[in-house]
Amino acid sequence: MAGNKMASSGDFVSREAPRSSVGKATAIAHHGELIQGVFKDAGGRLHRGLVTLPIAALKSEAHFARSNGDAVVVQPDHKVKASAAARLTLDFLNVTGGGELTLHSAIPVGHGYGSSTADVVASIRAVAATLNVELRPASIGRLAVAAERASDAIAFDDHAVLFAQREGRVIENFAGSLPPLLLVGFKANGGAPVDTIQLPPARYDSAEIEEFGVLRALVAQAVRLQDPYLLGRAASASAVISQRHLPKQGFDEVGEIARRAGACGVQVAHSGSLFGLIFDLFTPNLKRRAALVAQQIRRAGFKDVEVHLVNAEGWTW
Amino acid sequence: MVTIDADYFRDLETPRIARLGPNLVAAAFPLMKLMPARYILDRAASDGELKAGSHIVETTSGTFGMAVALLAAARDYRLTLVTASTLIDARYKARLERIGATVIALDDPRGDGNQPGRLERLQKILAKEPDGFWTRQYDSPGNWLAYARLAELFIRTTGRIDCLVGCVGTGGSLCGTASFLRTVFPHLTVFAVDTHRSILFGQPVGKRMLRGLGNSVLPKNVRHELVDEIHWVGAYPAYMSAHRLLREHGIFMGPTSGAAALVAQWVATTLPDAQVAVIMPDEGHRHAETVYNDEWLAALPGWPCKELSEPRTLTTIAPAAETQWTRFLWLRRSLDDVLKTQAASEVPPAIGAAENL
Repeated sequence: MAGNKMASSGDFVSREAPRSSVGKATAIAHHGELIQGVFKDAGGRLHRGLVTLPIAALKSEAHFARSNGDAVVVQPDHKVKASAAARLTLDFLNVTGGGELTLHSAIPVGHGYGSSTADVVASIRAVAATLNVELRPASIGRLAVAAERASDAIAFDDHAVLFAQREGRVIENFAGSLPPLLLVGFKANGGAPVDTIQLPPARYDSAEIEEFGVLRALVAQAVRLQDPYLLGRAASASAVISQRHLPKQGFDEVGEIARRAGACGVQVAHSGSLFGLIFDLFTPNLKRRAALVAQQIRRAGFKDVEVHLVNAEGWTW
Repeated sequence: MVTIDADYFRDLETPRIARLGPNLVAAAFPLMKLMPARYILDRAASDGELKAGSHIVETTSGTFGMAVALLAAARDYRLTLVTASTLIDARYKARLERIGATVIALDDPRGDGNQPGRLERLQKILAKEPDGFWTRQYDSPGNWLAYARLAELFIRTTGRIDCLVGCVGTGGSLCGTASFLRTVFPHLTVFAVDTHRSILFGQPVGKRMLRGLGNSVLPKNVRHELVDEIHWVGAYPAYMSAHRLLREHGIFMGPTSGAAALVAQWVATTLPDAQVAVIMPDEGHRHAETVYNDEWLAALPGWPCKELSEPRTLTTIAPAAETQWTRFLWLRRSLDDVLKTQAASEVPPAIGAAENL
């Protein structure tokens, strides 16, 4: 390949910006967290961390058109974190100039779907795409945290990791995807959004801190065995802890509906209003059961009941 | 330069997981008490309660003392263990002293372990030492919080767990592991293993032949409400079970581990669809001259006795002979609740108490 100079992120020579270079990329949403808390590293130090529950059907899409001007201009113009992420990515890739960033997102804001992180991750990917660079999830995660202070793990898509959302690094890589799930999702507290920036970080007691290690072990084993039941147990226990810090109305009632319906567990957005009932995708009569559960949840007064598939690989009813 | 992040004691406290049957896994610890000892010292050091070079004190002659002695040696703490002359043999005392611990063995005229005397001496030492630190394994929440690691390990090796079997002495290991497992498996059935004439689950105090489990005082870390079933295993079936672990599985454990394995194997056989986990707290080396010595065994009255394959179910709590294995449905009640119920009903004569060996 003599004479064919490849561009790579290891190339520290400042690149000449080719004109009208356009990049396009997407990032997926999530349904909040399976577990969230504090976790020990190998040296016993504690880090805030989470395991995201990805929803691949909801996406944010970013277009980036590079220009020679210094500014990054974003549309819609209130998406300042995405614009900051684009700037950081240009700097990371050692490129001068700016560009126009345009975002189209189908992800609702303020409920814990990770709309902001999806915008940020899509923007980082779109900027990198203008240089034909595909960034590693670890680099995207670090850039996302730098842009928005606290991020989630959707830079890793459906790959299950325990992610330190304020440090932008992986605490534990579970080395696989989550098992196939059906999720019946809905909103608590009358569907009112939660302002995540205003939330103070939760303070956990000693027993909670130790319990998070147990939940982390459950997620690891759930991924290894592809076992939705173990994942549901971890999610339910983390939801119980979350309820002590950011209470959701109707929590006990949801637990009772889940138990009667034979769900694997109850999942919540730990800094949002979302609830999710986790079902094994391969449960017999799942369609009927999901419809029945959705009906019970609506009757109990919850809003916006939706069914999501996780890692369903084109599975149909 | 190669740096080693791993803490040697973190490795040493980690049990090996052994499969004893299709639905039975065992955590075989070299020295289980390292887990709470390290946790309590780490916490105290990070809280500033335990300072560099501090003087650690504890009233124990058991394996918790050994664990703290090893940690104190590695971390440059002074250590004084207050025990009773009846509870420690010269060889174990010498081992602790070789590690650098000061061992005070008080007289024990009543033969009950002289716990009040030991506590009094410990308080005297603390009063003189501004940097003194008492590990308090009986009451410190660290003694049960430490066992989240064991719950994690069971989950990472086994996944779902339905039944947990373990010995009770301070309550730390069984109640700690059980409470963490139950947060994720609410259906978990907990089988506590004790020995005849230990007061922990309502028996009258008396001389116990099997050491390393049971107690003559009630530690705060025993949480009766977690327990579904209590088993009292005598010394003889515990010894035989330890022998069987070695013969049938090549696992060399102490007699308390034998008692736990005996109950666990019965649970696993009785409930073939349940995933059973058992905690085996220490190895057999300390018992080489006794439990694993044919001459010593031959001198025991009535040895060998009949092997037991199942416990006798009691409706009234009562001590039994050292050859016996009994069980009682505790049903997650408090000690007071159970004792009240027991007092209300007619108490039959103690079963086997007369032939107490």
